[in-house]
Amino acid sequence: MNFKTIVTGAVLALAAISGPALAEYPERTIESILPAGAGPAMSVSQIIADAMGKTLGVSLTVLATPGAGGIKAFQTGLNKSADGYTIIDGYVAPLVLQPILGKADWKYDDFIPLHAAASNAFAIGWRTDETRWSDFEGMMAWGKDNPGKLRYSSGQRNNLPHLVIAKMLQSYQVVAQNVPYDSPPTANNDVKSGILDFSFVNVGSYKQDPEALKIGLVLSDRPAAKAEFGGAPSITDINADLGLSGLAPMGWDWWLVKKNTPSERVEKLRAAMGTAMADPDVRTRIERLGFEPLDWDHTHYDEIVSGVRDQLSTMADAIKWEEDALKALK
Amino acid sequence: MFDMLLGGLGLVSSFSTAALVGAGLIIGLFVGALPGLGPLMGIILLLPYAITFPPVQAMGFLIAIYVGGSCGGAISAILLRIPGTPLAAATLFDGYPMAQNGRAADAIGIAISASALGGAFGGLILILFSPSIAAFAAGFGPPEYALLAITGLTAIAAVSDQSMLKGLIAGTAGLLLATAGTDEFTAAERFTFGLFEMSDGFNIVAIVVGLFAISEMSNLLTGNDLLDRPTLSIARPGFRTVLLVLRHWPNLLRSSSIGAFIGALPGAGGVISSFTAYAVAKTFSRADERYGEGAEGGIVASESANNATAGGALVPTLALGIPGDAVTAVLIGALLILGIFPGPTLFAQHSDIVGGIFLVYMLANIALFVVGILLTPLFVYVLRLRKLVLIPTVLLMCAIGTYAVGSSIFDLWVMFAFGIVGLILRAGGYPLAPMVIGVILGPLLENNVRRALLLSHDGLRIFIDRPVSATLVFINAALLLCVFFFTLRRHFAGRRSKPLPVNT
Repeated sequence: MNFKTIVTGAVLALAAISGPALAEYPERTIESILPAGAGPAMSVSQIIADAMGKTLGVSLTVLATPGAGGIKAFQTGLNKSADGYTIIDGYVAPLVLQPILGKADWKYDDFIPLHAAASNAFAIGWRTDETRWSDFEGMMAWGKDNPGKLRYSSGQRNNLPHLVIAKMLQSYQVVAQNVPYDSPPTANNDVKSGILDFSFVNVGSYKQDPEALKIGLVLSDRPAAKAEFGGAPSITDINADLGLSGLAPMGWDWWLVKKNTPSERVEKLRAAMGTAMADPDVRTRIERLGFEPLDWDHTHYDEIVSGVRDQLSTMADAIKWEEDALKALK
Repeated sequence: MFDMLLGGLGLVSSFSTAALVGAGLIIGLFVGALPGLGPLMGIILLLPYAITFPPVQAMGFLIAIYVGGSCGGAISAILLRIPGTPLAAATLFDGYPMAQNGRAADAIGIAISASALGGAFGGLILILFSPSIAAFAAGFGPPEYALLAITGLTAIAAVSDQSMLKGLIAGTAGLLLATAGTDEFTAAERFTFGLFEMSDGFNIVAIVVGLFAISEMSNLLTGNDLLDRPTLSIARPGFRTVLLVLRHWPNLLRSSSIGAFIGALPGAGGVISSFTAYAVAKTFSRADERYGEGAEGGIVASESANNATAGGALVPTLALGIPGDAVTAVLIGALLILGIFPGPTLFAQHSDIVGGIFLVYMLANIALFVVGILLTPLFVYVLRLRKLVLIPTVLLMCAIGTYAVGSSIFDLWVMFAFGIVGLILRAGGYPLAPMVIGVILGPLLENNVRRALLLSHDGLRIFIDRPVSATLVFINAALLLCVFFFTLRRHFAGRRSKPLPVNT
């Protein structure tokens, strides 16, 4: 054994012993798994991720994992180690709605919350030169006179807009055909060209082209949501109870980690996300996209999420009602 | 228009913009050439860096990756018979045989020149006709997309003339594979076998890399020359390759037009355009051009089309705010982060930024020609590697690229499984490309047929009631007749010599 071999062996042994002791979380890239493809939601996540990455001193990448109503993203996250290097971007649909619909077997308290991220109001819109009706009540009347003839899109099936619109239609006993689209802007375009009767519109799409569609009804009772859609009528302006009151803000997301993630790592992530969400620049950039940055820290998680879960549970039969009513017409 | 470009010129004319476009191109060429990665992955990885720059510079950087990546896939297709990206799958039909005939540098030079010229053509379309094309494309709905998918499927006939029946079998298998995953219309799982990794179907990158790369590397392993250093004399490509491309100017214009038009249709994408352009070019070719055996026109068709698609895809992206493909969806995301909302208001409120984006796109295509030709010797060096080094290196790259797409070990198993499928298909003389065409077009066809039928109040009449849809029905019928007629004519004309057994 020569001198070189001894020195090399000693250095390697020292590195092996001292490595774990010197290591301080985070040492490498952290991934945030987004249950959606590229679009405004990904942009919001990217803004938050960049700000958190600066605080944590490592890069935080957003991994767009669309598919199966967000279930694929959650499953992907759940299959990773509980080591603080994977964050699940917990939108309402995969976190709360899919379990209610029996499509996923997790509960919201299976995750540790870091902080709430942002919420995104949505509305329904139809084409600007529509002649069959001029307002929401008119559309419902037309739909009732022509059962099964209204065609609408909520983007994907079984998502939050689908449930909310189905509930709205159920309230008016209007039978309409949901047509799934993988890209909401494409659905909006088909409304514009007249092949689809109405579709859900989020604030981001609205801001891209406010003149593209007539916003018929903002599906939220928050004044801020109404303002985001240029003062269009909201559910508070109609004389019917759609069962949506108080369901606000909808379309929020919480950033989550798996249970059993070491508490000191959770605290580091919470602190970084808290700093990011309080940063005026981050908030401005999120607001510019039509999203509302949320101030709730992890202590509000149970109260907020369980409330929405309870409310959505009472609406869960609306999609089934829609399917059965359409079948009955055929 | 002139004011818009003039306003944009002020934002573009700086050293940092040129440097970012150059850097983006080099990155794009490499991520495109590495099997598994591609322009989409490159753009996603560098998005956090890009958004630290002003909008036009950031878009210049990202668009350059898009342009370089759309072309880079051709390099590995030509040198290794492995399309670096699905966009280049049609390039290997003639690119690889050309490289095997000792013209690797020419083949790459033609691919780069055709990409640059096709891309520039797409850029001109973008600049001159953006609003009117966007308005026309906005009229496309589910019936039109379904018929467009059928147009794309006719390419199977053109790329499997060694055995039409085997090509159709492989294409049908691809369509069936595309049905795996969550059904968009009922939320039911199909052929997922309870695996959540399958809930969005097979990853197309894993399929393409597995089918082509694993089977090709396995094929190389069977030789007795693992340790031999290839003694190829590799000529440097020159800027003269642009002349080789211009000799095929009708093909170049036609293919670029197909690429720009298909690109302008949201959701259609470069794979359809490159296969369609190749199929059309081959259908109208003379027998002595020998498509499939190293024809320059084959490379010109597929490469000019897929880069023109990039320009076309920017039309709905900027004019309507509707992404033309997955890459432009990320570009929209970048613009949104930078506080710019693409759509009609962008043209009205930030015409200088629109002009700047038009100009950086044109700059990227011009620079692609220069940077690409200068870098080609580096790429061609691959052919001088011993197989003992080349095979594990390529396999490692394939694994890294496939894993990087979704950070998924499962995708590596899919890649491996499709490698075995590729070996079996090759052994049976089945062409591989039709399977890729089927997998890519399957969802476009199925979802849009079902969507159209849900939207229709009169069943199948929706396909003939709408003028554009009815026209596409007619075009598809005519295209099928053309394929039939020209295939028969080529067979009767006979070939001057027996074709090489190229199995793509």
